[in-house]
Amino acid sequence: MFRHGSRFLSRASTMRWRRPFSTDLPAEAYKDSNFVEAWRKAIPTVEPPSTPSAFMATRPATPSSIPSKLTVNFVLPYSSELSGKEVDMVIIPATTGQMGVLPGHVATIAELKPGILSIHEGNDVSKYFVSGGFAYVHANSFADIIAVEAVPLDLIDPNLVQKGLTDFTQKLSTASTDVEKAEAQIGVDVHSALNAALTG
Amino acid sequence: MASNAAAPFWRSAGMTYITYSNLCANLVRNCLKEPYKSEALTREKVHYTISKWADGKPQKPNQMI
Amino acid sequence: MAMAALRREGRRFATPLISPNPANVFRSSLIPSEEPVLSGVRCISTQVVRNRMKSVKNIQKITKAMKMVAASKLRAIQTRAENSRGLWQPFTALLGDTPSIDVKKNVIVTISADKGLCGGINSTSVKISRAMHKLNSGPDKENKYVVLGEKAKAQLVRDSKKDIELVMTELQKNPLNYTQVSVMADDILKNVEFDALRIVYNKFQSVVSFLPTVSTVLSPEVPKLKDLVVHYVSFYSESGGKLGDLDLYEIEGAETKAEVLQNLTEFQFSCMMYNAVLENATSEQGARMSAMDSSSRNAGDMLDRLTLTYNRTRQASITTELIEIISGASALEG
Repeated sequence: MFRHGSRFLSRASTMRWRRPFSTDLPAEAYKDSNFVEAWRKAIPTVEPPSTPSAFMATRPATPSSIPSKLTVNFVLPYSSELSGKEVDMVIIPATTGQMGVLPGHVATIAELKPGILSIHEGNDVSKYFVSGGFAYVHANSFADIIAVEAVPLDLIDPNLVQKGLTDFTQKLSTASTDVEKAEAQIGVDVHSALNAALTG
Repeated sequence: MASNAAAPFWRSAGMTYITYSNLCANLVRNCLKEPYKSEALTREKVHYTISKWADGKPQKPNQMI
Repeated sequence: MAMAALRREGRRFATPLISPNPANVFRSSLIPSEEPVLSGVRCISTQVVRNRMKSVKNIQKITKAMKMVAASKLRAIQTRAENSRGLWQPFTALLGDTPSIDVKKNVIVTISADKGLCGGINSTSVKISRAMHKLNSGPDKENKYVVLGEKAKAQLVRDSKKDIELVMTELQKNPLNYTQVSVMADDILKNVEFDALRIVYNKFQSVVSFLPTVSTVLSPEVPKLKDLVVHYVSFYSESGGKLGDLDLYEIEGAETKAEVLQNLTEFQFSCMMYNAVLENATSEQGARMSAMDSSSRNAGDMLDRLTLTYNRTRQASITTELIEIISGASALEG
């Protein structure tokens, strides 16, 4: 392990520019050599544990020219909706407004608000309603979208949305404490976003 | 609306991002058509017991359902 | 329930082992002893062996059933754990993996099972957690435990009572889900002060291999966070996991960067926890399955040996009786 670590260090300095041209996969998983070293010194009897980066799927470095497709990972806690799928464009409901992401987009971290996430692939457009989460656009035209809940639009019941909207608007006017107010405000926000998604 | 300049309204009300995002997700689940609604709601049931410890002694446990 | 039954069975066959004389009948089958078993002692009761065989058979039935249960649970939870693996990767790609970070307040989140009979996964979690504690201990440093699961609690109470901050149990009454784990993560964030959270769990590799793993989540206030991320980038960009400095990212969302970072780390913690809890639960079922598999095999072996002893003893007594009858008859004739 330690040997690997030192090899890594030397490679980091000397092979920096060779990597983009080689096609082979990285030979070994990344290990934090400082951690492994410190661990071996402090607890020689126990093997150092793994860390998450050992299990990471590898990602390509930033290419010199802009690729034609955007690679999207769209994950929910209970499923991976899209994993490494190449699409033309995604539109992300950022808190600051809808944000279109094309290949070569500047690296961005965006917080999501309840709204429509649409994924454009040729002429096909798939639309999801996401409740919230985060999206990262990386410099190498990778986009990671993490949502807590996302549903296709046609699974939403418009009647329930209307009912919820009136309920929460009423609750907002009667709420007394801060928490109640905030909860009602969230309710109004989510339901009006749902409403806008269905009607618009 | 209710937000101040510094923090979003839900954080000023003492919520964390986790609470906020869970509330949003739950509201969305509540607006689904059947059978997806009950399916999503039964999936996300919360149950555990938590007890705070102080000075090596467990305090009274709390059940979260 | 099954475990209680197993314990009961265990007690039942433990008693004849201690009782002095009749035990020799079957003890000799396991350990070679000078006691003559096959020399035709007529009054040897085969009853004891038969009882023992019955209880071993019952144990085997129970372990087999537990194996089946674990196998079906494993299938269900394994798909969920695999689905959750996409969840943490974006965070590690963005914020890096920083196990070696040196901060003042460490909180070790030990994830274990509520139930035993699942091999060594609970003690592995505890062992790694203790080691993390040792690794990060020093003057003016603070290490606290947050314990998930009865088994790790039982082990940590023995020597690190003072450091336990929170204990959470009964996670698996309903199938594990994100809402539940995130509410738990929320409780941890609200009740514990930390600079770095270290989640210790067993990552499921296959039914026979579980990798003890430590995921680190930093508090957004850690001033070193940025330096570390930069360090990490120069280190890791080669293998293509990490793509750029956090500073290079434009932030869309709230007004300040600190605020987004706070939301981000909270979300990161709940996602990391979710995956960790699922991986550990999968490892638990996998370990239980293989443990129960080997114990039903052992019970089968034992049953074979017992059957052999039983038949031999029975045959010996029959032979003795026959010899006696024949010699008696021939004595009368002669």
